[in-house]
Amino acid sequence: MSTATRTRTPHSGGPAPSGNGAPPMGPPARKPFRMASSRRRITWMFVVFAIVVSLFAARLVELQLLKGGELAGETLGKRLVTQDIPAVRGEITDINGVPLATSIEVRHITADQTLVEDPQETAAVLGPIIGMDPAVLVPELTGERRFIYLKKNTPPQIWRDIQAWRAAEDNDGKVLQGIFSERLTIRDYPNKELGANLTGFTNAEGDGACCLESALNDVLNGEPGSVSYEEAPGGNEIPASDVQKVAPRPGTDVRLTIDADLQAIAQRAITKQAKASNSDFGMVVALHVPTGRILAMATGPSFDPENPDKVEPGDWNNKPVTWAMEPGSTAKLMTIAAVLDQGALKPKSSVVVPGTLLRGGKAFEDSHAHGTLQLTLAGVLAQSSNIGTILAAEEIGGDRLYEYLRNFGVGSPTGLSFPGEQSGYLLDPADWSETTFPTLAFGQGMSMTAIQIASMVASIGNDGVYTSPKLIDSYVGADGTVQQTAPGEQHRVLKESTAKKMQKLMQLVLQEGGTAKNAAVPGYLVGGKTGTAQRYDEECGCYSGYTASFVGMAPANDPEIVVGAWLDNPRGSYYGGAVAGPVVQQVLTAALASQGVPPTGDKPFKFPLTTDGSSLG
Amino acid sequence: MSVITYERDPDLQIPRRERKSHLARLDWILLLAALALSCLGVALVWSATLKTDDGMSGRRQAISLVVALALAYLISRANTRWLRRFAIPAYVLALIGLLATFTPLGVEVAGARAWVQLPGGFTLQPSEFAKVALILTIGAILSSSGREYGDRPGFWPVALSIAVALPPAGIVILQSDTGSAMVMGCVLAVMLLVAGTSWFILLPIALIIGGGVYYVLTNDVLPDYQMARLTAFMNPEADPLGAGHNTLQSRIAIGAGGMSGQGLGQGMQTQGGFVPVNESDFIYTVAVEELGFIGGVVLIFLLCVILLRGVQIAFRSKRVFSRCVAGGIVAWFAFQGFESIGMALGITPVTGVTLPFVSYGGTSMIATWLAVGILQAIRISERRERLQGEQRTDAPEPDPRPPDQDAATAALPRQADAPDLETAQPVAPAGEPQS
Repeated sequence: MSTATRTRTPHSGGPAPSGNGAPPMGPPARKPFRMASSRRRITWMFVVFAIVVSLFAARLVELQLLKGGELAGETLGKRLVTQDIPAVRGEITDINGVPLATSIEVRHITADQTLVEDPQETAAVLGPIIGMDPAVLVPELTGERRFIYLKKNTPPQIWRDIQAWRAAEDNDGKVLQGIFSERLTIRDYPNKELGANLTGFTNAEGDGACCLESALNDVLNGEPGSVSYEEAPGGNEIPASDVQKVAPRPGTDVRLTIDADLQAIAQRAITKQAKASNSDFGMVVALHVPTGRILAMATGPSFDPENPDKVEPGDWNNKPVTWAMEPGSTAKLMTIAAVLDQGALKPKSSVVVPGTLLRGGKAFEDSHAHGTLQLTLAGVLAQSSNIGTILAAEEIGGDRLYEYLRNFGVGSPTGLSFPGEQSGYLLDPADWSETTFPTLAFGQGMSMTAIQIASMVASIGNDGVYTSPKLIDSYVGADGTVQQTAPGEQHRVLKESTAKKMQKLMQLVLQEGGTAKNAAVPGYLVGGKTGTAQRYDEECGCYSGYTASFVGMAPANDPEIVVGAWLDNPRGSYYGGAVAGPVVQQVLTAALASQGVPPTGDKPFKFPLTTDGSSLG
Repeated sequence: MSVITYERDPDLQIPRRERKSHLARLDWILLLAALALSCLGVALVWSATLKTDDGMSGRRQAISLVVALALAYLISRANTRWLRRFAIPAYVLALIGLLATFTPLGVEVAGARAWVQLPGGFTLQPSEFAKVALILTIGAILSSSGREYGDRPGFWPVALSIAVALPPAGIVILQSDTGSAMVMGCVLAVMLLVAGTSWFILLPIALIIGGGVYYVLTNDVLPDYQMARLTAFMNPEADPLGAGHNTLQSRIAIGAGGMSGQGLGQGMQTQGGFVPVNESDFIYTVAVEELGFIGGVVLIFLLCVILLRGVQIAFRSKRVFSRCVAGGIVAWFAFQGFESIGMALGITPVTGVTLPFVSYGGTSMIATWLAVGILQAIRISERRERLQGEQRTDAPEPDPRPPDQDAATAALPRQADAPDLETAQPVAPAGEPQS
């Protein structure tokens, strides 16, 4: 360029020699050509180049030499992909290890449309692997979206197939470029509805969204691991890059006290009966008397935990724990037991039961109108006489009754810590009105959950010792270590002798003159108590319909199993014995068999129900 | 186009001591710089495509280079008159080629239907040849104003130049190759400038183009994604996965290079395929990531040598045709080279042009080397003419002027049209303002 420089020299400082020409629209101007003008312009090109090149050089120095380290660090950050390796969520199993909720690893196959080079070819290859019609796949692979799900919840093998296809030497890796996968585990409920109200389900993030899944979320979820590697945009690892792997810590399995077979029978029976009796819903609880272990706890109808949205959220509830209701006649067991325990009356003591009883300005009646009856205390229980129970309770008074009710667990949580558990409702004696005491005596004016009622009955069966119910048997770590949960809390409620008396009296309920003649289990002595409670409707704030219930236990002389069944708002027959009795009979039969309780024979226990020798229908 | 009557070539009126073999007359600095840049390009293409096709593209690029060298040698033997006559047929052929991309012969690659299928499995990108043909044609038009050493082109040659540039530019825009259209526009502008076109013509054109660009940029003429791509280089972090992706990834690769680079075939950004089209538009990032600051500077240096030799050839040429064509070729290389490097460095918008000599593409390689051949031919022709002129005593003096007193041109032939001295000013027709 020495020439250029020399050329410019004479011009510098001199007058601009050119730069004007013919008017734009005129004919071609015939002017002498001045090469200097053209050369100066060429020289200017050189100047422009010089400026551009120095700009580039400056930029290069800035990016590479001054900010190089910073950018290189950024580089690694951009390429370094850290993927979570999800920890496998623990299983929820029954007592025998039958899974109620389990986790399986799946992959979502995804695509970055901008990286897919040839949608047709990619679809043709990918379609058969993931089991989709290539024609459907093509539009999914075409476009500008950086992320799209192609197929969700594919088995891990599908992704391994894709990777194998990519790795195969005779294949052009570009064809499956832009195809990625998301690794996750999904919750599987192999037995669908079985135990659904117990286990609950998980949300899209894999965390528990209801019930035990939610209550035990931290236990079930392990610690996710991670893998870090440098990734090329096509989704492949850069082979030379370092891989760092932190293995996930799998979640802990939870073993319930539930027996899946019994649960299935209970769930089927209550669902069927809820439908047959036209009830809003039904509940069943089966307890192991000596330990308080819950053998079955069912709500009918249940739901499919894999599609929880198909039912109302209210139907997800594990109602035996979350639904508090007025217990009705089953609570008379507590009143009679208290009276016996206090020695105020004996089973044979006479109770004269009038047709109506006026207390606190209110007339109390029995479920069936009758004249004055000469009943024994046993007869009062067998006949489930409201008036007779009030009269018996008056022998010990309100404060004593209240103490017994509290001891039986009314108004206290059971300690299950189940999400949404209700503790029931029991007014403090200070707040009682004149009708509260007589009302409480026959099981109205307070509320209990099904599990509380079953536990109350079980404490009678357990010779007077209350045992808090237990749903979780043990935690089984991924390494196989088993951690047993503490046994249920126990405290004495009744003297052993009182409990023994009650066990005998409860058999009368199932016999001639009792209210639940159809709940008997052949081969076993069964005791029990029916309940036909007026149902408090929160919507209208009034009593509407009934809660029909029956709680039975067997063998009555040395109870092992308590089974209770409740049907909410049956439209039609609503007597506990008639509606709930058959369910209890089915579940109890199965429970006795599964627990291996030897038959006791079913010779009826004879006891006078009346003092005048009359027989009761 | 007016008929130009060249004098019959007074063959070998050059002194014996000045006679040289063809090879000896070549501009070896230009040749070696271009060859070095091409070889560097082959290596970079090999590295950039190592992961995708095992470097197959690099080998193809090397074959293209050999073919290109042979063709460049052939065309360097032509003289400028022959080239000028060849301009129109070349232009017609290029247009036919461009149109052929719309026929079933056309091949679509990555969304652009810019290739033509040739027998034997070869493909051809006519737009690259169109650039060469367009430069020759505009050169021929601008040098058609009657006198062989030129004149300021008037309105009609300028209008005709613009008119011949429009069809190929329009076709490549239809092929979504906006970059090539911009190259053609830039080449046209520089050639008009170099031809000495009056500012009275250039300024309105510049205003119209400037206004058009301003209108396009400020009104929603372009689709959003194109606008985003054009402006993303200023702030790539704003959309790191979309429009700013290329710029950002490229910048990271450059930063990773450091002083001496990570080594050929070792760049993580390159081998990981993070920088899109890095065998073509973004090949400069491969150079700086794998060969470092030194490699990047060497590449720019080689490009500058080529450009400066081109400028010098233009500068020394006296025929309008030669000067314009050389200027056009320099403009082509400069625009593509600077734009390709600039977008890799993140200082110009991402428009998608290749880096001459370096980027992958056989047609592009051959076309650029044809241009190098043309530069050589111009240099040789002009030199011969200069030497002849020195010898000739009967040279026509159609426009007698005072002798050349310019220091720079003192050694140049005393041909009548040639001197362009300030001293010639007084004979300018009246009406031209003098200051």
